[in-house]
Amino acid sequence: MTNPLVQIKDLEIGIPHPRRETLTIVRRANFDVNYGELVGIVGESGSGKTMVCRSLIGTLERRGATVVSGQVLFEGEDLAHASEVQWKKLRGSEIGYVPQSALAGPNPVLTIKAQLAEALKNSKSSESIAAQSKALLALVQIRRVDIVMKQYPSQLSGGMRQRVMIACALAQNPKLLIADEPTTGLDVTVQAQIMKLLKEIRQDFGTSIVLISHDLALVDDVCDRIVVMHAGATVEVGTVADLFQPKHPYTIALNRSRIDIAIPGSELITIPGNAPSVGEWASGCRFAMRCQFQQSDCLIGDHPDLMNITNSHQSACLHMELLGGENA
Amino acid sequence: MKVSNSSAGAKRKYRREGTFGLVAGFGMLLLLLLAGFIFPLISKYDPNQPGLTPLLAPNMENYFGTDILGRDIFTRVFDAVFIDLGTSLVGVVIPLTVGTIIGTLLGISKRKRINSLVGSLIDGINAFPFLIFVIAIISFVGPGIPSILLAICLMNWARYARVARTRAVVVNDLAYVEASRTLGYSKPRILFKHIIPNVSSETVAYALSDFIIVIIGVAALSFLGFGVNPPQAEWGLMIRDGAQVITLAWWPTVFPGLALCWTGIAVAFIAEGTNRRLKESNPK
Amino acid sequence: MREHLIEVKNVSVTFGSGSNKVEAVKNVSLTLSAREPIGIVGESGSGKSTLARVLAGLQKPTSGEVFFDGEPVYRGSRSYSKEQRHLVQMVFQDPYGSLNPQMTGISAVAEAIRFHQKSDKEEAKLHAFMLLEKMGITELDAKKKPRQLSGGQRQRVSVARALSANPSVLLADEPTSAIDQSAQAQLLNLFRGLLDEGLAIVLVSHDLGVIRYLTERVYVMKDGQFVESGDTEKIFANPKEEYTKLLLASIPGKLGNDLT
Repeated sequence: MTNPLVQIKDLEIGIPHPRRETLTIVRRANFDVNYGELVGIVGESGSGKTMVCRSLIGTLERRGATVVSGQVLFEGEDLAHASEVQWKKLRGSEIGYVPQSALAGPNPVLTIKAQLAEALKNSKSSESIAAQSKALLALVQIRRVDIVMKQYPSQLSGGMRQRVMIACALAQNPKLLIADEPTTGLDVTVQAQIMKLLKEIRQDFGTSIVLISHDLALVDDVCDRIVVMHAGATVEVGTVADLFQPKHPYTIALNRSRIDIAIPGSELITIPGNAPSVGEWASGCRFAMRCQFQQSDCLIGDHPDLMNITNSHQSACLHMELLGGENA
Repeated sequence: MKVSNSSAGAKRKYRREGTFGLVAGFGMLLLLLLAGFIFPLISKYDPNQPGLTPLLAPNMENYFGTDILGRDIFTRVFDAVFIDLGTSLVGVVIPLTVGTIIGTLLGISKRKRINSLVGSLIDGINAFPFLIFVIAIISFVGPGIPSILLAICLMNWARYARVARTRAVVVNDLAYVEASRTLGYSKPRILFKHIIPNVSSETVAYALSDFIIVIIGVAALSFLGFGVNPPQAEWGLMIRDGAQVITLAWWPTVFPGLALCWTGIAVAFIAEGTNRRLKESNPK
Repeated sequence: MREHLIEVKNVSVTFGSGSNKVEAVKNVSLTLSAREPIGIVGESGSGKSTLARVLAGLQKPTSGEVFFDGEPVYRGSRSYSKEQRHLVQMVFQDPYGSLNPQMTGISAVAEAIRFHQKSDKEEAKLHAFMLLEKMGITELDAKKKPRQLSGGQRQRVSVARALSANPSVLLADEPTSAIDQSAQAQLLNLFRGLLDEGLAIVLVSHDLGVIRYLTERVYVMKDGQFVESGDTEKIFANPKEEYTKLLLASIPGKLGNDLT
């Protein structure tokens, strides 16, 4: 199919409040997810990356947020203002979700068997629930399936719990899997395994995966395409190859502060200051205050839109010509 | 916590969450206290002196009517304010303080024997039926406000201690407490400046809801005859007296009852306001 | 000044007893010298945090000895003496629990400064502002309570608090694990600057990438024991143990790929 599976268009998300102005937390988010693609969304805390994904799974309301404008297209259908009834049909069967490892997790009072059974509730397969459950656990590379089925989440390690969450998310073979910082708080060895697992799932089943992370090095490693977000806006979108020559100062700065390519003992080039918090967004480009290439027109008007550099590579920088040969 | 969307433009002022509850609650209590101070002073009636026509319905002379002994109920209701509020306050503050300290010390202590000994004591007290305990104390010391207070304090501290102990165990393991140890702070400093303030956030929250229970408890004990000595006005006592003539007259029961409700609602407002304030700063 | 600041000899830490025994640390020895930052790397459950707490004076070993500047650290039920206590400080993993939620950054740091330098309130406050500024915390942020700060900012306040005691050794237990990549870079830069100023650092982490950036010697820990140790560069170039190779391959990004 040539049409993308997911299209986020000019998305603006805000938190309305009865007595105050609506607080905008995402403005000018634009990116696509194609079929069978692993897309990484990178940004600092507060960049809005989690909120954008909430709009794709329908949990914005729960956080008191709504889509103010723009479109959230899934297979051509706009879900920006979808009802809970519509979401219930999509969740699990079309769109799966794996939460942050540190926060939610499998229901602590259900055994893994019960957990999987619940995820498989609406499965259309003709096989028994038990057989499907075992197949799912094998899929996420859990050995000793019979033992694990009978255990409670508290008896499993963090890594195994996340695998169970991935299994539940994949239960109905959804077209899209959203993994929200799935390895935060887990050891790097476990993280490496889970990343490998995600790649295999994409390979074997053609599932599109959206991976949210704050770690550019990780996303660089694992994903096909990368979406970089800063202060509620998408500032650069491109394939991993495209981003070898990043065309936005924020991406360049993130790249430079990576530890995996740093020279031991030398000074890490960090991004000055902090990302502006929600509610304190100035006019113009929201990265301008921290940008070494700042020009006078960067501070006025609206936040710049994404501009095409090539078919696959876009950047929201007004002055890409200044970035020269800055390399990853 | 955060100002709404605007940096350059006019900053719109907004109220912090929970302000309504706090203002309403404390306002109501303040009004009650003022009334309890002023009205008995300016009233032409002696609250404890019988002599008026008994069981007069509320009228222009006796706003709340008179009771069976011919005393002005209006004056009596407000004469009882300090007794009721004061007793309940003491009945909350003392167990709160004692319970928080003992519970915290228990929570951070590593000595197994003391911990299980006092722990069992706490659990035992908490399980003990309150009324029997009160009766026991009264039979030793005699009825009256001091006895009620004694009974309440002796029993209630254990409930705070349990809350405090659970919280103290958690706080003790937190990184900043360990940091205060590596920084070499003295034990008293760590206890009073770092542990107890974070334990008391829980126990004070508990105290707010406990206040209502204690007020009702004091009134109930007086209702049962264990509390205040007549002729001193006290809401529970007044309700009891009024209950005896409820078929003849509703006002001797209802007005002291309303005073109790007023207090209860005020405290509920304060509790809700405090809750919202805390939620605002710790959205989770 | 002795050659070794800290010496750990055959230390074991066992929790519980009987069938519930957990041997968190088994017969571990290491040395720390000034100007030679070391790293202890391992997954969760390896015992590295327990070992860090032993070094910090918070956990008495079940057996073995720990020496600081030649003197035994654990005597009887006490750990570091009053004179030595301030010389070894620690930054903890959890940025959310590492600061008193009811104290602003400035009061936490000022308290530490007053305690250690016996200065008066005003002086201590001034000094605290300067120290926090050095850590990249503005005056405005210093007056905020922990819940209003980001994870990275909280870690830097914790570092400032630790430095208030004027230590010679700073133990950092997974300082970068719970914060963003960009905040990690800021924190590591901070540590590197402190190293240049002569502070001895022990970095405990599960991420070899971070260890490589900061340390010169590394101890690889698994199930309470050291399975490999040596110069950081040499370990990266030529890892001997399978477990070390696994850790190296897990580093996110280019390092992990280049090394597999």
